[in-house]
Amino acid sequence: MRPMNYIVPESAEAAVAILAERGENACPLAGGTDLVVDLKHAPGNINALVDVSGLEEFRGIDETDEGLRIGSMVTYGEIMEHPVCIEKTPEVVAASHTVGAVQTRNLGTIGGNLVTCVPSADSAPALMVLDAEVTLIGTNGWRRMPIEDFFVGPRKTILEPCELLAEIWIPGHTLGKPSSFYKFGLRKGQALALVNAAAALELDGDRIVEPRIALGAVAPTPIRAVKAEALLDGQVVNAKLLDEAAKISVTESKPIDDFRASRNYRRQLIRTLTRRVLERSVEIARERQEKDKLH
Amino acid sequence: MLVELTVNGESRSANVPPETTLLKMLREYLGLTGAKLGCDVGDCGTCTVIVDGVSVNSCLMLAGRADGCDVTTIEGLATADELHPLQQKFEEHGALQCGFCGPGMLISAKNLLDTNPEPSVFEVRDALAGNLCRCTGYTKIIEAVIEAGEMMNQEQATV
Amino acid sequence: MATRVKDVQTNVEDLVTAREARAPSRQPLAVPIDQPVTFPLELPESEARLRTPAVGQRATRPDGRLHGLGQTQYIDDITFPHMLHAKILRSEYAHARIVSIDTSEAEKMPGVIATLTGAEVPENSFGPTYQDQPILAYPIARHRGDGVAAVAATTEQFALDALEKIRVEYEPLPAVFDPLEALEDDSPKVHGGDTNIYTSKVIKKGDVEAGLAASDHVFERRFSTQMVEHVPLEPHATIASWDGNGRVSIWSSLGRITLGREDLARTLQMPQSRIRLIGTVVGGNFGGKNEITNEPIVALLSRKSRRPVKAIYSRGDEFVSSTIRHPFIMDYTTGVDNEGRILARKIRLVLDGGAYCSWTGTTIGKGSILAPGPYNIDNVLVEAYAVYTNKTTTGAMRGFGAPQVCFAYESQMDDMADALGIDPLEIRLRNGFSENSLSPTGQSLQSVALKESLTQAADRFRWKEWQA
Ligand code: FES
Ligand code: FES
Repeated sequence: MRPMNYIVPESAEAAVAILAERGENACPLAGGTDLVVDLKHAPGNINALVDVSGLEEFRGIDETDEGLRIGSMVTYGEIMEHPVCIEKTPEVVAASHTVGAVQTRNLGTIGGNLVTCVPSADSAPALMVLDAEVTLIGTNGWRRMPIEDFFVGPRKTILEPCELLAEIWIPGHTLGKPSSFYKFGLRKGQALALVNAAAALELDGDRIVEPRIALGAVAPTPIRAVKAEALLDGQVVNAKLLDEAAKISVTESKPIDDFRASRNYRRQLIRTLTRRVLERSVEIARERQEKDKLH
Repeated sequence: MLVELTVNGESRSANVPPETTLLKMLREYLGLTGAKLGCDVGDCGTCTVIVDGVSVNSCLMLAGRADGCDVTTIEGLATADELHPLQQKFEEHGALQCGFCGPGMLISAKNLLDTNPEPSVFEVRDALAGNLCRCTGYTKIIEAVIEAGEMMNQEQATV
Repeated sequence: MATRVKDVQTNVEDLVTAREARAPSRQPLAVPIDQPVTFPLELPESEARLRTPAVGQRATRPDGRLHGLGQTQYIDDITFPHMLHAKILRSEYAHARIVSIDTSEAEKMPGVIATLTGAEVPENSFGPTYQDQPILAYPIARHRGDGVAAVAATTEQFALDALEKIRVEYEPLPAVFDPLEALEDDSPKVHGGDTNIYTSKVIKKGDVEAGLAASDHVFERRFSTQMVEHVPLEPHATIASWDGNGRVSIWSSLGRITLGREDLARTLQMPQSRIRLIGTVVGGNFGGKNEITNEPIVALLSRKSRRPVKAIYSRGDEFVSSTIRHPFIMDYTTGVDNEGRILARKIRLVLDGGAYCSWTGTTIGKGSILAPGPYNIDNVLVEAYAVYTNKTTTGAMRGFGAPQVCFAYESQMDDMADALGIDPLEIRLRNGFSENSLSPTGQSLQSVALKESLTQAADRFRWKEWQA
């Protein structure tokens, strides 16, 4: 790697200030699983790394009245071990489990993954179906937005220069919501997703309430399949309906053709995976209803 | 920059350029050549070491990040007169052929057994997914890890 | 903590089970897959078995302990005082004439001690069969992995930085990437001349046309395989130290050091007695480390700099510049009678050789001899051609062509079994070699246990039950 300065800021604000002062030549460093690789091969004009991975403001997982706060610098390994995540956001845990391998999950952070903003980011769909929000800190202070608005294009987020992703919030009302995540890659370990899909929904009797479907690696950014959601909303569950929704979600995607898989193959995957995550979410919701009946 | 580590129980330090990876520091500054460079991009796992209780790709971690941390490398597994159960079982099973993946593989396996002494085959595969081996086909490695776990449990029981 | 991992796991396992449940009618086997095999294996006693008592016993490798301890010394674990690091610049084009190379800017870069270009190599060609491969391409680069210049500097990073300062002027030449196109008369010629075919082989037995004419059914199909990189976990690595007495010591991850020393003597133009080639522990070979790669470059850089020089391939170098497995295009025409007995088999193999010959001779030989498969066939014709293309050089890789043809002939056996309604095992037993069968080249085969192996294996994995 080319010579670099390595700076550990005292606080999030200090980090922003350092980045502002150094301009284009400085770059925030999170887990490094993408950035360090890039710097080894094509460092561009970067000559300073501002290591934000240890900042208090960006660390920790806490449950508050508002919901679950996950610091952007929490690693996948930490999410997978956290009792609250395991209990209330099992699909975020499952999605984390599909990222890289143990070693990369212990370095890689959930925030870093979102900021890298590749269409196949595994954590994105799982967070999107839980209506997650993100908070950002920049030279103009803090702002907050739905996670969908964070993604702008492939490798492009809404972050202004010198702005940092600080936290991910999962609102209280979606914690524990029946949900499911499925990633399909060419192999089991360390694969990039060809398609990943997540769903979340509640059942009111037999009717689907608040359905959410999110898909990754099917468009320039992770997307919500809103038309498919609209079809499901308020309807009585049946196998045909779920498959219909899965079909619609295909029309909402724009998968690419590349050396990993053809567009057509990806389309079929989208339909199958969407149907499966919906089926699985319904199953979980049903199990929950049964349990409630017993109590 | 000065980086101070505890490596395999010993305090070690070196003055390294800030862009130095932990792997480079271990190999070139501290003379610990056990961890290997296989791909330099976080795919192969030959550089795996344990930092503060979790396994990481040391080719992706800057040495500065590890400052003040507790690091375990392959050199820290055996004592002067005793092999670690993993090393014993890997040897018995012939689980390493060219051996290049071995240091990383054993460290990942150790990290697994430290938290989960009775792993299922599935769990072993999952824990070693980041360690590629081009020679063995993994079967003997998995057998060796499971038996090493059993051996460690027995040792624990007899203490 | 352990429970946690299991929780996560249940989800994944559920999904896996669900997926398996949806798979077509295949019943899971009664024997769990992870039931360990117990050693020593209980094998039936036979005369041959008694003569080979080691088979089926577990052996412990003498080097296994050191591997596990992390004490094995591979080349990158060895350093010498004052040692330099070398990096190689690769061609920008798949096919180009190098008009000029200017290393002067690179030489001014910090830490740079020496540079090298192909024009400075005493004899710039090597290869186990034909010496058609340059150490550093000059004046023609024939694929993107061809090295064109090298730098030795005090650190790897300095060497890499200096590579960017080397100015190479290329005159791009038309390139050919498809082996079938390379066979055409008007295709670009990788090594000049009027053909890209550089090795061929014909095997004839009986009268294949008559055999096909007498067949009840004739099956025709094209099969092809892709290139495969060996991906040894240890990349190619070399250290060279040229001493004041004019002798050079080279530590290399090379698997065949005696052959390597011959190539070194040729390329460095010095007697073998002055070359000390030390084969170290190899971190994975699989055929990819069967010939020299950067050894002469590193040696010459050491001579120029008067310091030991180390060069380790990056994973990228490994993929584009070290050899790979030959992709094959295989046309199979097979005639059978109504009982599925093979009467004739006509085969054309086209080996995509990449830019240089390397171990193609061995590959085309084994590939051709084995192409008809382990079956008694009276009428055989195999025609095999290896052609140059402007791609990564193909060379030795486990099996030397045997896996490629095996994929083709076994696929066709299945096609035929399927079309004729014969059990795939049965069609193999009907045609398979037995004791004293003659190979396509007329060798009388001994200790042939093909049918026994097939039957035993089929029993063990319960072929009949799977068929039900
Ligand atoms: S060298 Fe670090 S993962 Fe391959
Ligand atoms: S033993 Fe060679 S790579 Fe694992």
